[in-house]
Amino acid sequence: MAEKSISFTLTNKQQCFQCFQPIVEEFGAANGLKSKTVFHLTLVLDELITNIISYGYADHDEHPIEVSISLDRDTLRIRLEDDARPFNILEAPEPELDLPLEERARPIGGMGVHLVRNMMHNIAYKRENGKNILLLEKQLTQNGCDSRN
Amino acid sequence: MALSELKENGVTILAVDGSLDAEETQILETRVLALLESGETALLFDFSGLDYINSSGLRVLVLAYQRLKKTAGKVAICGIKDYIQEVFEVSGYDRIFPLFPDRGQALAGM
Repeated sequence: MAEKSISFTLTNKQQCFQCFQPIVEEFGAANGLKSKTVFHLTLVLDELITNIISYGYADHDEHPIEVSISLDRDTLRIRLEDDARPFNILEAPEPELDLPLEERARPIGGMGVHLVRNMMHNIAYKRENGKNILLLEKQLTQNGCDSRN
Repeated sequence: MALSELKENGVTILAVDGSLDAEETQILETRVLALLESGETALLFDFSGLDYINSSGLRVLVLAYQRLKKTAGKVAICGIKDYIQEVFEVSGYDRIFPLFPDRGQALAGM
């Protein structure tokens, strides 16, 4: 029987992409997800985990980042938990997409967050016991592809 | 990631195969900066073998665009897969970078 959920822990000291990308590929293959969905899932995790590692910690210690991915019928869910500084993705500024690149005050700032918001359908954030907990949902069709496409 | 490079009709073609994750993007950025430093004015990124890109990969393209814009240079992209094209559309970069189906059409259109 296909594994419908998977959990793993990374740390801010690891090369995050090499750690989680094979796990996501395997989860996608085991559950028959379309390659485009696997790409979205990989990109979303890459952007979020890179943000946590790049901007989240004031010290140089090792910190765990807990990741869970689950598939419940047509809903793909991601849960991320970290003890980095508070960061609510829902309050992060959007990139200035309508301005020419030369006129943007922050030319590429927030693009990762923008991609995440566009590739997931529901996002919820809470800060609990000194931890960021981010829940993201993506609605899939029965064929495992993005229902918006 | 594999990076290969050739020059045709005054255009430097950078063919990127595989994944542009954070580590690989660093290699591409170093190469792009070196090309810009050496005075290249036309860059074509051939992404027909590219399977993955994230926002840091896009940032390298923007960097090339911003540098070349100042010297009336050109930057274009060809051969991107449909799911990667979606990243360009969501980021609005499909309106900034000329996107061509393949290398031949890019060289003719640049």
